[in-house]
Amino acid sequence: MKKWMTVMTMSAVLLGAATGCSNNGNSGANGGGNATNDNGEASGNSGSGKPVELTFWGDWGGEGQKQFETMVDAFNKSQDKIRVKYVLQQDMITKFLTASTSGGAPDILFWDRWRTSLYAPKNVLHPIDDLLAADGLSRDDFYSEALKELTYGDKLYGLPLTVDARALFYNKKILADAGVEPPTTWDELEQAAIKTTKWNGSKLEVAGFSLGDPGLFNMYLQQAGGSMMTEDGKTNFNNEQGKAVLTFWDRLLNEDKVYKTGFEQGLGEGTDAFVTGKLAMQYTGPWMLSTYKKYGKDLEFGIVPPPVGPSGDKGSVMGGFGLVIPEGGKHHQEAWEFIKWWTANKDNALLWAKTSLNIPGYKPALEDPFFKDDPFWKPFLDTLEFAKIRPAHPGYSVMENDALIPNLQLFQQKKQSIEDTLKKSQQRGDQLLQDNADVK
Amino acid sequence: MSSMGKLNQHQARTAYLFITPTMLLFVAFTIVPVVMALYLSFTNYDVVSRMDFVKLDNYKRLLQDELFWTTFKNVAFYSVIFVPLNILISLGLAMLLNFRRYGVKLFRTMNYLPTLTSAVAAATVWIWLLHPEFGLVNNLLGYVGVTGPAWLAQTETAMLSIILVTLWQSVGSNMVIYIAGLQGVPDYLYESAKLDGATAWDRFRYITWPQLRPTTFLVSTMSIIGALQLFDQAFVLTQGGPGNVTKTPVYLIYQQGFNQLQMGYASAQAFVLALAILAFSFINMRISKSEEPIV
Repeated sequence: MKKWMTVMTMSAVLLGAATGCSNNGNSGANGGGNATNDNGEASGNSGSGKPVELTFWGDWGGEGQKQFETMVDAFNKSQDKIRVKYVLQQDMITKFLTASTSGGAPDILFWDRWRTSLYAPKNVLHPIDDLLAADGLSRDDFYSEALKELTYGDKLYGLPLTVDARALFYNKKILADAGVEPPTTWDELEQAAIKTTKWNGSKLEVAGFSLGDPGLFNMYLQQAGGSMMTEDGKTNFNNEQGKAVLTFWDRLLNEDKVYKTGFEQGLGEGTDAFVTGKLAMQYTGPWMLSTYKKYGKDLEFGIVPPPVGPSGDKGSVMGGFGLVIPEGGKHHQEAWEFIKWWTANKDNALLWAKTSLNIPGYKPALEDPFFKDDPFWKPFLDTLEFAKIRPAHPGYSVMENDALIPNLQLFQQKKQSIEDTLKKSQQRGDQLLQDNADVK
Repeated sequence: MSSMGKLNQHQARTAYLFITPTMLLFVAFTIVPVVMALYLSFTNYDVVSRMDFVKLDNYKRLLQDELFWTTFKNVAFYSVIFVPLNILISLGLAMLLNFRRYGVKLFRTMNYLPTLTSAVAAATVWIWLLHPEFGLVNNLLGYVGVTGPAWLAQTETAMLSIILVTLWQSVGSNMVIYIAGLQGVPDYLYESAKLDGATAWDRFRYITWPQLRPTTFLVSTMSIIGALQLFDQAFVLTQGGPGNVTKTPVYLIYQQGFNQLQMGYASAQAFVLALAILAFSFINMRISKSEEPIV
């Protein structure tokens, strides 16, 4: 309750500002457009004088903060008109919300892309279509799925900074000992998992394949040839494809017994089941590369794109971050210069990639041998070719977390049948999608 | 007499002066937000772009919201087990450690230590201890030939695990409150009871327990409130899973408010929760009053 109270207080304090805003909500959006022009001129004038100071908010601390600061410093050195400063905000989204109403919004914001469908309709982000067109940047240079995730209505709200997708990590030694090749289909995956699993009585010693994250349902559904949602905003998994996924899981868990519920829960980095050789194969993303590479010879692993489903369908879920310009920022044009420099320039995108070990959203940077010739990056690049973003519905994450995953967990623990699981997930999911659809 | 009145007046004025800062803070940070939240619960407030009056829409939606009532069932189950155990264990510990003997302070400190750890850090360590294959708990069970469950991942044991972890963390501070209460029980009561031939149980039943009534009331009320507001531990230990069995109202309120930006609806949920807390505290007060008066 305490936390809640603080928040309400905050809201109360902001009440004046909020009501003020709702009065001129529309004019504010229009005003933003004018402000851009003004600033454009202003920056022209200030070229000879003091540089424009920009604030860049992000919620990456530690290593991430250093990586951001490397980029910011490089940008500041590259010209003398704009000075960017990175500010670490632990509770960034909440602060951004209050700042948007009270006028303290930053100029550039580090953005978890899937949030776009929830925030863009509220006019807190500045559309960049005009800026993009004015500079003649081509949309084809970016992953189209990532741009789609930054789009609401017909407007684009930012550029992708990183892209990621899950692929299959496998322990080379365990697979070699069991005499199996890295799988390319569901059937091969099942066989490889069976052969690499080791039980000692009732104790699972080596799990062949991780089924610990029911949140990956989306990915399996794509591999089975399905999709999570229909065009008109309803769930789309209570069908043959959904059934195929759950039948596959059921076989792996209960007949082949290649995994045990809760097996990996709570294992931190040093005790990660994959690192300690207790797990032969798992789906995970490029963010684990630096961790796993640290173990060098002790952990020899390989990566292949996700195995295809029964009819040969490929599937993986694309995620990642972008940079956006808050509507409340005062220097839209300068903020755009910074974003463009970072995300739409081959050298800088590559510098970012090498600094942070992320895959940039700018495709020309991926032509570099750093990516093309690397056995760890290559499978991810291949996977990204067909990876799809999560449906851009403001209620999607709630549907997934509160309707689908709980039911999948009950299913994994044999508490309900495949039919019930899909039916309940659909009913509850449709309800949640509907409840959270209205964001205007 | 008149001088006394003056003194009283003077004292009263000073007293008001002293409590003014606190009251101002209380009004600004508690009363105003509560009234605001009540108002917001009738709007579609989203922090940024809108705050229209929507009458009872939020509350109507609440009635349809199965998950919200599931979370209430979850914390109800939690409270029914947690609150009595909390009182029982902390009182038991307090009575064990309420002696003036060499080394007893060490044991008091040790029992109090879990309270000092941050909820999140402690929960993280417990995740480790409760790991099905490599955790200490199941390893110990393994020595006696029992295959322990996947404590946090199974629907049957997830809530029990949370109860255990939160108990471990909260009995320490309640123990201190009880020790203070026990030391406030006058010795002559026990002495005269002993002279009258009361057994140890009689002395507990007719002296200690009634004398501790205000303490028990405090402890039980605080645990009821804490139980209904369960959040951190449940969030860290299980993220509300498996199958929603450990999701709590505060978790939902947070999610609706901050992730979905539906502050209006979240306020409505918060108000229902506040009413529930009020109702249970009231029942608790009634039960506590209905017991026989102190001596």
